[in-house]
Amino acid sequence: MSQEITQLLSGLHPLERKVLSTLKVRPILWDHELMQETGLDESRLSMALGWLMTKGVVKVADEKATTFVSITELGKKYREHGMPEKRILNDIQLGKKLTIKDLRERSDMDPSEVSTAIGNLRSKDHEIVRVGQGGLLELTGIPLPDSIEHALPLLLAMLASSSGPMNQLELLDESKHLLNDILEKKWKTRGVVRQHEKKSKRLALTDLGYELVKRLTSEVVSEEAVSQLTPELLKDGAWLGKSFRKYNIGLKPSRMATGRKHPYREFLDSVKTKLVSMGFEEMRGPLVESEFWNSDALFMPQFHPARDIHDVYFVDHPKSVRSLPEPHTSQVAKTHETGWKTGSRGWRYAFDIERAKRLVLRSQGTSVSARTLAASPRIPGKYFSIARCFRYDLVDATHAPDFFQVEGIALGETITFRTLLGLLKLFATEMAHATEVKYLPAYFPYTEPSVEMHVRHPSASGGLGWMELGGAGLFRPEVTHPLGVKVPVIAWGLGLDRMAMVALGIQDIRDLFSSDLDLIRTKRSRG
Amino acid sequence: MPTIQIKMKDLENLLGRSVTISELADRLPLVKGEIKGYDKTSGELKLELNDTNRPDLWCVEGVARQIKTHRLKTAVPYPFYNGKRKAAAVIEAAPSLKMIRPYIGACIARGLTIDNETLVQLIQTQEKLSESFGRKRLLVSIGLYRLAKIVFPVTYKTVRPDEVRFVPLGFESPMTLRTILEKHPKGMAYAGILSKAAEYPLLVDRENKILSFPPIINSREVGEVQVGDRDLFVEVTGTDLRMVILTVNILAANLADRGAEITPVEVRYPYLTDFGRKVVMPLVLSKPMTVPLHDFRSALGEPVKMTGAVSVLKAYGYDAKARGRNLTVSVPAYRDDLLHPVDVVEDFAISRGYESFVPEMPSEFTVGGLSSIEQFSDRVRESVIGMGFQEVISNILTNPDESVARMNLPASSGYGDLVTVENVMSQTYSALRNGIIPSLLRVEAVSSKSFYPHRIFEAGETAITDAKSPEGTRTVLKLAALIAHPAANFSELHSGLDLLMYYLGRAYQLEPVVHPSFLDGRVGKIVVEGRNVGLTGELHPQVLENWQIAMPCAVFELSLDDLVL
Repeated sequence: MSQEITQLLSGLHPLERKVLSTLKVRPILWDHELMQETGLDESRLSMALGWLMTKGVVKVADEKATTFVSITELGKKYREHGMPEKRILNDIQLGKKLTIKDLRERSDMDPSEVSTAIGNLRSKDHEIVRVGQGGLLELTGIPLPDSIEHALPLLLAMLASSSGPMNQLELLDESKHLLNDILEKKWKTRGVVRQHEKKSKRLALTDLGYELVKRLTSEVVSEEAVSQLTPELLKDGAWLGKSFRKYNIGLKPSRMATGRKHPYREFLDSVKTKLVSMGFEEMRGPLVESEFWNSDALFMPQFHPARDIHDVYFVDHPKSVRSLPEPHTSQVAKTHETGWKTGSRGWRYAFDIERAKRLVLRSQGTSVSARTLAASPRIPGKYFSIARCFRYDLVDATHAPDFFQVEGIALGETITFRTLLGLLKLFATEMAHATEVKYLPAYFPYTEPSVEMHVRHPSASGGLGWMELGGAGLFRPEVTHPLGVKVPVIAWGLGLDRMAMVALGIQDIRDLFSSDLDLIRTKRSRG
Repeated sequence: MPTIQIKMKDLENLLGRSVTISELADRLPLVKGEIKGYDKTSGELKLELNDTNRPDLWCVEGVARQIKTHRLKTAVPYPFYNGKRKAAAVIEAAPSLKMIRPYIGACIARGLTIDNETLVQLIQTQEKLSESFGRKRLLVSIGLYRLAKIVFPVTYKTVRPDEVRFVPLGFESPMTLRTILEKHPKGMAYAGILSKAAEYPLLVDRENKILSFPPIINSREVGEVQVGDRDLFVEVTGTDLRMVILTVNILAANLADRGAEITPVEVRYPYLTDFGRKVVMPLVLSKPMTVPLHDFRSALGEPVKMTGAVSVLKAYGYDAKARGRNLTVSVPAYRDDLLHPVDVVEDFAISRGYESFVPEMPSEFTVGGLSSIEQFSDRVRESVIGMGFQEVISNILTNPDESVARMNLPASSGYGDLVTVENVMSQTYSALRNGIIPSLLRVEAVSSKSFYPHRIFEAGETAITDAKSPEGTRTVLKLAALIAHPAANFSELHSGLDLLMYYLGRAYQLEPVVHPSFLDGRVGKIVVEGRNVGLTGELHPQVLENWQIAMPCAVFELSLDDLVL
């Protein structure tokens, strides 16, 4: 014990000495008291306390949280003009003839404010306003809840008149109740008030600490140990004969903020490099696509279910492209209708050119391949793209609002079904380090024959399970001929997000696009 | 993709032999199927069928038929497809249907034994065909009836919404057609199909007994098929006659597989259809297709012999004949999916088995490479990382609140150049980002717990409207970098920007500008060769307040498309 204390003593930093000598007099103190007594600022004090706690000299004896409440800009606005619910209600009471559409067009309220207010006024269990004849809003007679009528204006008034954030404990009971029951759920999310917590700690010496401070007095600090070697000390040789304070090298170092690639980008970059090394050239396309490139050029009939509003995001502004490229558009249109010169019977319906002009958010990376086919590609040629795509899906652990698709084409006189299988095999070994490959018949509207590739992968489903790595096929002549390509074309796509998730140890696809800086900073990328 | 629930026992009955689950898994590539679940004790099996062009495969009968065909090496014969059987009954269609729901087809199935499983499967097939293939009954819907209750001929006509009443399935008392659309669950679900019609379709027999109100609901009396029934009347209505005929053909084959004797029904139209005024169904739809033998070789990459092609295709159900160097092929009437000879080539490859083809590496030499913008972007990212910035990747879908309101930009500008979504699913994802700064602020807003300083950046795609371009929008690759810590300011970030521009070899000036997202006097446009390529500044406290960020932030944003040479 005594040897341990001697060692501790010799390694004490001046800041630690300061804290310990204060605690020697008053062994239990709140952190703000300690700050006052030592005269240290918050960051130096917390640094010193951190060290002392790792050494087991000081401990936290007690902790309490205080909540402070303050008003936001929006809160001030509501205080001045009244809650949107109240204002809408007032207008109806004054006999104004209002429809929901009128409300949405109000210039003095944001559309989102109006939606929330309407929602609250028409909530099922508390319907204050209903839609009557001709869509006009009428009162049901149920009054506004007391919280909106009285408690909230009162709270806002108090907060507005206070010079700074208010301690929640000092508020009126009525306001406290409002904060607890309602604010958390409703008003805070609307940004009317802001709450933040401050934690106070009560610090005390440990048994070891008591022993240490006893010796702190008896130990004569004869000579101030040097803590930092400086250029001055070196210049004139003043370091000679000085003693240097010993560090506790067992302490955990502080964290370093570094520049770093995003781990998912690192994965995508490795894919990119791999594809380039296999002779693939990068191609790019726009995020917003005409339906022509997104579907028509891929011989997906305009009545295809994957093209409806439940699968694709349609653009509201702007609605359509102004023109489409010729002769491709006419050739594609004729191919859909009658097969044109492709040897196909076509889909037998009237192709709608306006529909082809309609803008959507790119739903498949294959649209980039279609654009490349129409732009006189090299023959033989190999192309790839890593394209952001959008699908009309509810966002959950397996669906991100937008995601990357790795796709490409290979074209040339010698391309056949067997070279397609060969290329897939190359992907399986090079990209997925697969030990075994299986080719299954698949269906894609734009390829025939179509293949789905399954691989046995060391990290798939608990060891040696099969997982789907991608889909591919030979583009149908109905796709290639109208775009001016006469040689066979392999179209391939790889489902890499699952591989990325395995590589990054992620279960939720949304984490690939996470906004949480801590997660991004701490995520290790595995090869 | 259709998923069906079937019973192993039922499948085995249809196959005519027992089969293990792994044997079945090996055969499923024939139907582009996958096992999605199997309960050993109950024998329940969940199959996903991936060919959206083969509705005949979306049922246990179809799956069994394709597997059986392959085993027998020839198509299962259906004598009623050859057109020689006489129609046993007649349906008269009324002229008023032409604009409402013009087509109907039917057949009669006798001598079935409808047990519980058969009934379950009939209903499932009816549902898959009318919901997926028939686009939620718009293009095709199906009705099944107890044959004994019907006196032919049946009339397909229209009536006014309140003209007749009958007891629909699932209800006890009679309702008018209008009430059915308003009150009956099926009526409410499918009322949209008839929203433009002044009169509604009705199917009645010679004695004016109501069979159904297509495509909504059957009459309870005639149209409630039960376990123990033996004879059925099967009817399909729709807006596309080809699809109606195909549906009748599929249903006829399915019922025949379960032992029914099928007799055709003739429909008499008062108007001309693509198949004439009198259409007897089932009816063969597809014409034979000619496929040069050479097509197999050029698509598959190996020689295929005529005899081999014929036998392999026969084993997939084709009728195939050699005609010189060509094959003449046709598919059974339950299929109508051949558009091009390549479809035949794929069926050949499936029938022979994909595993029988030896993979071969593409041998032609090609040079790989990145686009110039990607190379430039990689260079920029490397420089910025070298300056100590952490890269982030954000979603591109965002909303006007983040892109406009929170950035302190006036909403009255109609969201400026923001590309907005029409069929919004969630307000959170209702527009594409037009800049990267909000993406970085989203990170700041949730990362106050991560230790400071924060130096983050993203190089990524954004989209803006562009009235001048023929495409209406443009995708622009942008870079934005942000610093956040207690002393973060303009000059610290300016140093970073300055160094980046030096390394990229682009001379630039900062020109003062007034921008509501930034503190006045602490923001500048970045100008390169007279062109505006971005901006930098300290974010306005109001913007930080809007994002609930309690740390000073400085940012710059550059359009990489404008900087790349």
